[in-house]
Amino acid sequence: MSQVRIGVLLSIAVLVILSSALFGPRTIMPFNLSDIDREILVSVRLPRVLVAFLMGMALGASGAVLQGILRNPLADPYILGISSGASLMAALGIIGGFTFLGPVTVPVLAFTGAVVTGGLVGIMGWKRGGLWPERLLLAGVGLSFLFSALLMLMMSISTDEGLRRAMLWIFGDLSMSEWSRIPYGLAFVAAGILLPVTRAKALNALILGDEFAHSLGFSPQRERVILFISVGLLTAASVSLGGMIGFIGLLIPHIMRFFLGADNRLLIPASALGGGSLLCIADLISRSLLPPMELPAGVVTAIIGAPYFLYLLRRKDVLSI
Amino acid sequence: MLPIKKIIVIIVLTLFVMYCSVSAADPATVPRRIVSLAPSMTEIMFALGLGDNIVGVTTFCDYPEEAKKKPKIGGMSNPSLEAVLSLKPDIVVMTTDGNPKEFADRLQSLHIKTFISTARRLHDLPAGIKELGRALGTKERSDRLAKEIEDGIAAFKRREDTSPTKVPAKVLFIVWPEPLIAAGPGTVIDDAISLLGDENISGSAKTEYPKFSIEEAIRRSPDVIVIGKGSGMDMRAVSKGILKRLSSVPAVKQGKVCYLGDSLYRLGPRVIKGIEELAECLR
Repeated sequence: MSQVRIGVLLSIAVLVILSSALFGPRTIMPFNLSDIDREILVSVRLPRVLVAFLMGMALGASGAVLQGILRNPLADPYILGISSGASLMAALGIIGGFTFLGPVTVPVLAFTGAVVTGGLVGIMGWKRGGLWPERLLLAGVGLSFLFSALLMLMMSISTDEGLRRAMLWIFGDLSMSEWSRIPYGLAFVAAGILLPVTRAKALNALILGDEFAHSLGFSPQRERVILFISVGLLTAASVSLGGMIGFIGLLIPHIMRFFLGADNRLLIPASALGGGSLLCIADLISRSLLPPMELPAGVVTAIIGAPYFLYLLRRKDVLSI
Repeated sequence: MLPIKKIIVIIVLTLFVMYCSVSAADPATVPRRIVSLAPSMTEIMFALGLGDNIVGVTTFCDYPEEAKKKPKIGGMSNPSLEAVLSLKPDIVVMTTDGNPKEFADRLQSLHIKTFISTARRLHDLPAGIKELGRALGTKERSDRLAKEIEDGIAAFKRREDTSPTKVPAKVLFIVWPEPLIAAGPGTVIDDAISLLGDENISGSAKTEYPKFSIEEAIRRSPDVIVIGKGSGMDMRAVSKGILKRLSSVPAVKQGKVCYLGDSLYRLGPRVIKGIEELAECLR
């Protein structure tokens, strides 16, 4: 039964990827390509669709894992401050106009900010030889406030022009997606998803309590560290791929729980596929609605995702981690 | 002399005297201390010879050089009321293109005189300068400056009209390369491109500075790409990525990519120079 459901999600994902590549401001007919269509398809749309899918996968999967580690239904990849740290570094690069690494300067800065912040949250959350969910959460919220304030400070003293550019990045921007970003994005996202999938049984046990996990033969502290590292990798990869896109990390895991239950062996891959599909659709809408203008993908994600989530919330009964 | 004639003469004389006293600027009402809340207004006032009367400017007012030395009152969208008040201005010069309306309301409620320019487009500029000149008591100079700009615009128009065989070039004006932001409809840049008889490929967008679709930029195949100035940035370096992505469009293939100053970003006395620079690019 579960294989069937994952199969359905997988086919939806393939369908979404194909249609996102063919539709857009103008529809491209795959069997009758003009030179310009081929160029747009190959060097603009395909990399963009793949980056969107990877980013959505990273967000969905890391949300599912994080809600488990923190035993909190409101946890999402951004609550740990990782994205605020990444945004701060990215905004620094954008407003300061740094180009020392060429076109990948801002993504690399964002990735660095995310990894450093993840490390800080880990240090703050570490006590008595292990990571503790409450401490991680509070450390993340604290750092998040600090970095958001620094970001606001930087934005309020920057020029209107720099501010606008930074805002566009922070709202999520997939327009700069290139083939060159896909290998490293794929590497981080694959590692970040495979790691928790192989530890899914341990995560299931952790949700029921440290003692329970211990009685099943898992070391709660060791599992938490591994899972936390995978969340950090996924969040850092997603932020450096396309900025900040909300909603997916928080609500896709819940939507998947409505359909598939809370078993993380299924939930993590399902949240990845669901997140990838949603972000692809949202990006398709954001670039097709008002051509030649593009809307921020993050806004569209929440506008189509939130009503669906609320509808499910009314219809279904359970809401648990 | 008939009394009726006498009365008419008296009325005419009175009206004449009244007219003279109104038109000759009353030194008491000419503002001595001016605060400017927009770089474009600062530039216009310097051009009108009012540089010494400007006592406060925004942090973005960087032209002419002397403007940088004036006391700062904050940004365009977030000026400090306290800083403005402490400069004891006779008049605060603002624009609807960037200053918040609430700020004007606050100043007016504190009985501070304001001049609010509503000029946003190229063809609004001469009238806007004249109006400002009336408010600041520099009618003659502002009429002259307005005339210069009007003549400049008319000259470009004539040049365009006398070459009817010209094929309009498709132009992409990049305001910022990553993410790609173009100059769209309703901007001075768009006005300048159409004045020169060329076509802005983002003229059909819905906003002034749209985040522009890269695939549409490729499809609309611009003949010329103009890259605007970002404050304090090396635009050649930051534009490398986008030019690589647009490498198949005629503009990049034929090397018709040029970098412009900031003259067209401000609706002020330098627009004509800006249009000349743009015309140079589009030739």
